[in-house]
Amino acid sequence: MNIGSRELTGGGAFRSKLLLFFLLLLFWIVLTASLALHELVMGAVCSAFVGALTVSLLGRALDPRITPSVLLRLPVFMVRLVWEIIKANIDVARIILNPRLPIDPRIVEYRTYLPGDLPRTVFSDSITLTPGTVTVELRGDLLNVHCLCPYHEEGLAGLEKLVAWLFQVKKPEVEENG
Amino acid sequence: MDEFLTAIALIIGLNAFICLYRAAVGPTTQDRVLGVNIVGTKTLVVVILVTYILAENYFLDVAIVYALLLFVVTVALSRYLEAEGWKEVP
Amino acid sequence: MARDIVAGIFCCTGTFFFILGTTGLLRMPDLFTRLHPSTKCDTLGACSVIVGMAVHNGWSWDLLKLVFIACFLLLSSATCGHAIGRSALRRHIPYWKKKEVKEDGHGA
Repeated sequence: MNIGSRELTGGGAFRSKLLLFFLLLLFWIVLTASLALHELVMGAVCSAFVGALTVSLLGRALDPRITPSVLLRLPVFMVRLVWEIIKANIDVARIILNPRLPIDPRIVEYRTYLPGDLPRTVFSDSITLTPGTVTVELRGDLLNVHCLCPYHEEGLAGLEKLVAWLFQVKKPEVEENG
Repeated sequence: MDEFLTAIALIIGLNAFICLYRAAVGPTTQDRVLGVNIVGTKTLVVVILVTYILAENYFLDVAIVYALLLFVVTVALSRYLEAEGWKEVP
Repeated sequence: MARDIVAGIFCCTGTFFFILGTTGLLRMPDLFTRLHPSTKCDTLGACSVIVGMAVHNGWSWDLLKLVFIACFLLLSSATCGHAIGRSALRRHIPYWKKKEVKEDGHGA
């Protein structure tokens, strides 16, 4: 919960504003569904206005970790995540359609080495979408994960490696998960 | 294709009605929120299907706003239920 | 014609996963286990129907809107499940365990 510590002044604030402006303009283009000049001008005015008003709220979400190389790796990450989601669904389908309902749910704690809020958020969202695990609490580097079956817990480390690859985070030598 | 899409929309709508059971009798309030969220997702998909059944493009804007509202409603309700001092009404 | 068949296959898959999600929502014993079918099956079902509609639609501006809705659903349903689960955990809602041993869900 220390996202507010980074001050939005100087060059950082300008970069956030510019990024937010382009995101809002993209959303405007999606909504209006046209590239006519008057629509673009109106959209630019509105995006600049909304961006200037809300940069202190939304600017925190624009982590400096979002670099072009991360955006380049994002499609590969999405494809692998969708593959994991499909596997997760088949797995959950087998459990639901089984008349005996073979579940043994438990809440496990998992300590992640991913730094910062953005990688942790991506990690916890990915956990929720992959086999038999739902993140129910994220507090610092500690995740409370609800597992449907005990063997689902084993998939977490591989997923963490995938998110670490997306953000190019090195795994520290001292390992303390469990 | 229209008849097929209508059939799919009807099946999903029926599903949403069955999910309403969880929203109505769910033992805890969180169950009700979850039920409402799921009914909302299904309604969103029905709206998207109706776009193509009626061939009216502007329904997609309705779908976008519906998705945004659904997210805000669920998160706001959960944050509200999470507050200290809140008691379950029997 | 081939496009309609592909779209139909995607729609049928999505409907199947929706039915699965409903079944799971009704069958599972407690809130935390109900989160599993609702976050996974509903997301894949909705995304599958949306992809089917995108195939049916072809290239146009509507495709961009559909892609936006699909990406937003992927993000928002996971976040919604997380929010509901966290509020249940903080309110100490008991969670179901095998052999009917019920405990408070403090999470150690």
